[in-house]
Amino acid sequence: MDFDRRSQELFEEQRQAVYRRTDRMFVWLMVSQWLFGIVLALTFSPYGWEGKVRSTHAHVFAAVFLGAAISSLPLILARTHPGAPVTRYVIAVAQMLWSALLIHLTGGRIETHFHVFGSLAFLAFYRDWRVLVPATLTVSADHLARGMLWPESVYGIVSPEWWRFLEHAFWVVFEDIVLVASCVVGVREMRDNARKRAEVEALLKEVRDFQEQLVRTEKLAAVGQLAASVGHELRNPLSAVQNANTYIRKRLGDTADPKVAQFLGIIDRELGACTKTIADLLDFARERPLALGPCPLYRLVDEAVQLVPAGRAKIVNEVPEELTVPALDRELFRKALINLIQNAAESIPEGREGRVIVRADGGGPHPWHITIEDNGAGIPEEALPKVFEPLFTTKVKGTGLGLAIVASAVKRHHGTIAVESRVGAGTRFSIELPAAAA
Amino acid sequence: MKTRILVVDDEPSVRETLIANLELDDRFDVTGAESGAQALALVEKQPFEVVLTDVRMPGMNGVELFRLLTRARPGMPVVLMTAFALEGLVQEAVREGVFTVLPKPSQVDTVVHTLAQAARRPFVLVIDDEASLAFSTVESLRTAGVRALPAYDGEAAVHAVERGTVDVCVLDMVMPGLSTEDVVQLIRTRDDTIAFIAVLSDEAPASLMRLAARLEGMLHKPVDVGTLIDAVAKARQADAISRHHARVA
Repeated sequence: MDFDRRSQELFEEQRQAVYRRTDRMFVWLMVSQWLFGIVLALTFSPYGWEGKVRSTHAHVFAAVFLGAAISSLPLILARTHPGAPVTRYVIAVAQMLWSALLIHLTGGRIETHFHVFGSLAFLAFYRDWRVLVPATLTVSADHLARGMLWPESVYGIVSPEWWRFLEHAFWVVFEDIVLVASCVVGVREMRDNARKRAEVEALLKEVRDFQEQLVRTEKLAAVGQLAASVGHELRNPLSAVQNANTYIRKRLGDTADPKVAQFLGIIDRELGACTKTIADLLDFARERPLALGPCPLYRLVDEAVQLVPAGRAKIVNEVPEELTVPALDRELFRKALINLIQNAAESIPEGREGRVIVRADGGGPHPWHITIEDNGAGIPEEALPKVFEPLFTTKVKGTGLGLAIVASAVKRHHGTIAVESRVGAGTRFSIELPAAAA
Repeated sequence: MKTRILVVDDEPSVRETLIANLELDDRFDVTGAESGAQALALVEKQPFEVVLTDVRMPGMNGVELFRLLTRARPGMPVVLMTAFALEGLVQEAVREGVFTVLPKPSQVDTVVHTLAQAARRPFVLVIDDEASLAFSTVESLRTAGVRALPAYDGEAAVHAVERGTVDVCVLDMVMPGLSTEDVVQLIRTRDDTIAFIAVLSDEAPASLMRLAARLEGMLHKPVDVGTLIDAVAKARQADAISRHHARVA
């Protein structure tokens, strides 16, 4: 679909280039023919016909004025409407009128008739057989009319045979057939070319996308490895500090100095924050195999909701309790839901009555659809395509891994995730999980 | 008598701080070991009710230690503690009857609660009206080193819970007699820290689905023993204290 459109586009592009190039060629031709016509009138015509008397200045005027008249319209159109159909049709007619004028100026010399054939061949450069139609009609009309009214002007003799016109017409038609064929072949080749170019473009794009994907994957893998090793290294000391702090709180928490208790509380809370950050990193990094099991979405959402500080938002679990149960990795998927619900809850701007609604439907032969919708601040359009990328964040505090974890969790369940958002109005994340294999 | 607990961790800072916290609890008498070998030597000399061990340690790892311990002292509960995500090694240990696996770091309260729970050597109560099914499930759990009891109807289940040695109920959702909802209700009024694992078929009616969705775990029929053991370990790992609070709230 996309490919066809692109190849059509390339084809049109090339055809337009051919039209314009040929227009420009005719601009030069029109000017040179005019100069040539004048030179011809000055030097050749007087002797070519009318015989011995040097009173043939009429031809010179004809060359100058008639030639200018014939050439001017094509020149104007080539400038104002390059590549337009009307330009090349007018050029076709003008070119044939030039043949007529030159034949006339050379006193109907049979050799000058070759100008007609040359002109038709030039017109075929357009690779548009339709330009041959006005050209052929013009030259035919000219030959027919002058053949009857002024045969000397066109055939060089006073009384040509009655079939002379037909003879000329036959050769013109013959050449037309050859040229039409060449135009058709030319267009077909252009079309083939365009198709091939579109193919190459598509391939290149694929290669480039793949390369980007590869770079991204490598980046992820590097981040993941680093996160995993740092995370694990930190867990033991964190464990010791947490234990020590718990002990101190129990022993010293009720000393006279209230600041001691307060600060021990701060240590405890901040240790919790560290633990959570590390858990996020490890969730992102770890590639443990999925532990799939039946996992009721209602309960999973409920658990997630309980673990999210609601803040300004009212979080509503609208998942039907009787919804068919999908097979999920409970921990991984709960983590994904927590991240989505937490983001939603945090997006509520101050002074707004926030709500976060989690819905789900589907199951059985249908895919499951889970949506998490909020009426928060929304995501700017330019950020939308990047929200699932790791290390991308718009928050002041955050690892930029939350939605990347979500995306990878959904992907590992063979699902898809999408996001819609309007700044100021809210955001909706939609997860689709494939229908259970029957 | 105090519960004797052995804490095995190669990191002195972790080991010492944890022991200090556990010692604050009057119920515990705590000993430390810095390696699997030392732990084995201690177990040879004196009895312990529960062993809490780190998984990744130089020399003998926690899972190897668990295997040797079950050979030396069959039935002694072993709790694993790990800073790593559930890896294959830990997974194997769970299927071989480790009581549960705690993440590192865990809140001290969670550790205390889990150790107290493990020391009681609680039973998994398999509630199923089809006696042969309940019996075979119990047998396979026992073979894997998980203590289990069968109950063939709701009343028997409530009685078993009343004896106070059950911490997880595996509940067949379709039973004659008392409705499943009543069974859950009755058991919870007696002990609200008990975790339920619902077992139901794909064609279960919506009302049962709704009920099952509120329980701690859910398995589809037919139930594979390995999966059941994983679910039991997970139900024990899920912080029973917070479960209690969540329900109260």
